[in-house]
Amino acid sequence: MSPPTGPTLLEARDLVRHFGPVRAVDGVSFTLDPGEVLTLLGPNGAGKSTLLGMLGGALRPDSGSIHFRGELRDPGETAWRNEIGVLSHRTFLYGPLTARENLRFYGKLYGVAGLDGVVEEGLARVGMTPHGDRRVEGFSRGMRQRLALARTLLHDPALVLLDEPFTGLDVHASELLREVLVQLRDGARTVVLVTHNLVQGLALADRVAIQSRGRLAFFGRPGELPQGEEERFYRRCVEGAPP
Amino acid sequence: MMRYLRQVLTIAGKDLRVELRTRERVAAMGAFVVLTAVLLNYAVDRTVIHPRELAAGMIWIVITLAGLLGLGRTFELEKEDGALEGLLVAPVPRDALYLGKVLANAALLGAIAALTLGVFALFFQLTLPRNPLPLIGVILVGTVGFVALGTLFSGITAGSRMGETLLPILLFPLLVPLITFGASATASLLAGFPPEEAVYSLRVLAAFTLVALTAGVGLFRFIVED
Repeated sequence: MSPPTGPTLLEARDLVRHFGPVRAVDGVSFTLDPGEVLTLLGPNGAGKSTLLGMLGGALRPDSGSIHFRGELRDPGETAWRNEIGVLSHRTFLYGPLTARENLRFYGKLYGVAGLDGVVEEGLARVGMTPHGDRRVEGFSRGMRQRLALARTLLHDPALVLLDEPFTGLDVHASELLREVLVQLRDGARTVVLVTHNLVQGLALADRVAIQSRGRLAFFGRPGELPQGEEERFYRRCVEGAPP
Repeated sequence: MMRYLRQVLTIAGKDLRVELRTRERVAAMGAFVVLTAVLLNYAVDRTVIHPRELAAGMIWIVITLAGLLGLGRTFELEKEDGALEGLLVAPVPRDALYLGKVLANAALLGAIAALTLGVFALFFQLTLPRNPLPLIGVILVGTVGFVALGTLFSGITAGSRMGETLLPILLFPLLVPLITFGASATASLLAGFPPEEAVYSLRVLAAFTLVALTAGVGLFRFIVED
């Protein structure tokens, strides 16, 4: 699917973030248009999750700026957070609460209108309706992640940030998550997907970024990668050799 | 403004619902209050002093220690599956998150304070004032001041491996005025003096609470954001 053209939805300008002496993100800049899916690839410690944390608003950049719909994002403001959904390998769910209670809690925080109906739709979307009144602490890893996906999409965000969402999932849960991700490529949503899995990531991507040692070693369209040699290209990028 | 208040209540409601379901904190605090009152009852030599004379100070010490047991775990659940990050990426002002936590902790500690009064009345033969409102006011204002400061410091120590050990060390010195004036007002009211006698202490408690809440609202963002 070719993404619709329009004004830039998300722009990162020269983002830098340190953890102590470590420069986790080092001068990252890119733009994403509405409806695009960006797959962010890179080895462990490349700074992918830190970059995603800054895009989602959980972390503040040390320098650089993030623009959303053309406007500079003010970390103190909360309105832009309504348009972002975050799914990571941690689910952000509360074990002692039931699946429905978790969704209702987040729905209230996001000010979702018609919450009861939206919660039921969310549960149905990830096949969790029969488990709605069970406590999350009794769920398997796959069930938790499916519920976390429903939580992420509950407020119908324009920008969806996915940080290694396939981690620890069984085959069934991975398949369901992949189906929902394909549905997300509906042109209405912009998605940033962080993954280690090159094949899976490229299959979903409109744009690909390869991050290594905090920097973007590559940012472009999947067609710009050497056909049939994507794996070798990726390795050269992360090893620091000129691709 | 309505949305802000709804978010504060939603966070407080979630914390209380989790607590009602697990009863982790309230059971530990309740057991601590009862056991401490029993021990103190036996520890005081009634031939030398009537325990009633010591009750007000003991009540505040017990409320403070029991509160520390609960406050230390304020952010434990938020850490379990990254829930705090879920709150930080949600459109919730950091101070609303703080006030929601304070509200839930105040409700919990208010219940524990009521239990403490009841247990001490039983063991120490306290005569509660005919008009309990001034005493309830003193306990309520002091409790809110304590949790306002305690919730803030619980956020600071939550990221530390020594968190639960560190919390009392950081918090106790700052609680001296609260315990001093809380005990003074409580002693006066339990002794049957007119409520006007406790007004000065109540004012100091209220000022302490206001300062603690203002500090929490202003500083909480720096504590929870990376």
